[in-house]
Amino acid sequence: MDIIVCIKQIFDLGQIMVDTATKHPITEGVARKISDFDKNALEEALRIKEKHGGTVLALIGGAKEAAKEALSMGADEAVIYSADSDSLGTATILAEIIHKIKYDLILCGEASIDEFSFQIGPRLAETLGIPVLTYVREMELKDNEVVVERNLENRYEVAKARLPALVTVAKEINEPRIPTLLQILDASKKTITEVSPAKPAAGVETLSILAIEMKRKEVILKDTENLARVIISEKS
Amino acid sequence: MDFSFTEEQELFRKSVREFCEKKIAPKANEIDEKGEIPREVLDDMAAFGLLGITISQEYGGSGADFITAAIATEEIARADISMAIAVYYLVEAGWGFLINRYGSKKAQEELLPDVTKGKTFLGIASTEAAGGSDVAALSTTMTKEGERLVVNGSKTFISGVREAAKYGGGYVTVVKTSPELAHKGLSLCYLPVKDVPGITTNVFKQMGRDGISTGAIIIKNVAIPAHYLIGDWNNGFYYAMEGFNCARPLVAAACIGAAGKALESGIEYIKERRAFGSPLAKFEGMQFQVADAYAKLESARLLVYKAAWMLDQMYTKNRFSHKEINKAVAVAKLVAPTVAFDIIKDVLIWHGAYGYTKEAGLEKGLRGVASYIMGAEGAQNIMKLIISRELLGKEFAPY
Repeated sequence: MDIIVCIKQIFDLGQIMVDTATKHPITEGVARKISDFDKNALEEALRIKEKHGGTVLALIGGAKEAAKEALSMGADEAVIYSADSDSLGTATILAEIIHKIKYDLILCGEASIDEFSFQIGPRLAETLGIPVLTYVREMELKDNEVVVERNLENRYEVAKARLPALVTVAKEINEPRIPTLLQILDASKKTITEVSPAKPAAGVETLSILAIEMKRKEVILKDTENLARVIISEKS
Repeated sequence: MDFSFTEEQELFRKSVREFCEKKIAPKANEIDEKGEIPREVLDDMAAFGLLGITISQEYGGSGADFITAAIATEEIARADISMAIAVYYLVEAGWGFLINRYGSKKAQEELLPDVTKGKTFLGIASTEAAGGSDVAALSTTMTKEGERLVVNGSKTFISGVREAAKYGGGYVTVVKTSPELAHKGLSLCYLPVKDVPGITTNVFKQMGRDGISTGAIIIKNVAIPAHYLIGDWNNGFYYAMEGFNCARPLVAAACIGAAGKALESGIEYIKERRAFGSPLAKFEGMQFQVADAYAKLESARLLVYKAAWMLDQMYTKNRFSHKEINKAVAVAKLVAPTVAFDIIKDVLIWHGAYGYTKEAGLEKGLRGVASYIMGAEGAQNIMKLIISRELLGKEFAPY
């Protein structure tokens, strides 16, 4: 079972501060990390490999440090590319790279936790012409098929698809492992390949990102007796 | 000159921080209140490769260098600022390294795998009732009797006595083997404590770091196998000093870890807490304190990692003399505990009356760090004597 895991490296959102005058996020000096659900996707790939054998390739939009982390967790090799594109562009780049690689299964996080577009997995599957199963909270491989349980708005759905297929995973599917020192040291012996695919023309261009202004009303109550009434009247 | 950590060290810090935030931080208050590190925390630490981290891979360790070991210490102490887990971790890292370096092959094979698996505890037993700083005056003896070694005496203020008696394990123990030769008549041995005839232990109630016990070991005619001798007979003073040089940068790393976490939480607090219409952080008087605390912390941090780096250079590239190492380590151990105590105390005061509560979670840090000002792993005045001896020359040593 050869698995590709698509990973995006993002800013650690918890560390981002906002310029109070311009509302621009300040990203200078902010640490980057693997997007949370992508880490779940990698963990799931590693568990499948441990059960069924095969290889795990981490395909990373980001820098070498994210590749090192993925390799430390247990990926066999990593390919990194520049991630500076919109969802359509990123899916096009991923497809171009993946076309040259043999695979049975592609795993993605259901969304990146910085943009939450939920688009990369479905767009990539569409471009590659393979089935896609999204919002997956449990999965199993049986007889060249993948059987999954999907989180939908008010129900769970069990579905299956023939391989090769693409699956996007939800956070609850697993708890990602934390690499140990020895795993980190071993990872330095693994291969990281850097590719520079042509950047497709942007379908959507982000012009600016500004923080939402949350103005506090600063209502001061002298006692708590009427608190519920005040809250209800504020809401209405 | 390059002050950066390697990519692997940076990644390890990230990993160990995540581990500590998940497995240690949520239990830190419970550890301090119940006075015990839960078994599952030790098992998790062992599975993650933290216990006996400097021990070589053939015995289940990670063969970590001292910079890496210091990173882990700092992160562990951030998660448990009471220092209890940091103490458990660092004595094993420091003294496990020494057995790995000088213990007999048979003792290494017998003892070290259980330390790295977290099954047994390994500590240091040096201090005696008459004092800990004057090692030449120690009175616990070890004699050769046929194929065995026999130990008599007592040790006190020893970390992990209850844990060693409960889980098994024992101590790198400083003993007199030729009393007439003063410090040149000392040896090191491994002394097991669980279910050993002639060993009795008792545990003290202490001021802080309650999660790990401190107590005494009474040793009456305890026979140990000859392969428990560590290194050469009568050479123990030098091994012990080397062991302290390995453990002390980790002690200092634990202090800055606890202080760093306290400072971070203090900064968050003063940005939110308002008085007289502004956040406390807007007051110049607060800003001066924040800057002072950060400057002191960064200074201590540089000393810690310089000492750890010098140790690594000595062991891997044969650089730096013991005199240079002694001085760098003593400076780090002298500065870090005091700096950490001052920072945690100041942050606690920023919190006002809330800081004085258990809920604020700061006072346990103050109590824990205090142990390293009192003298654990070497008294502060001894650090000063080591530094002065290296600066002035041996001929000016007062003792």
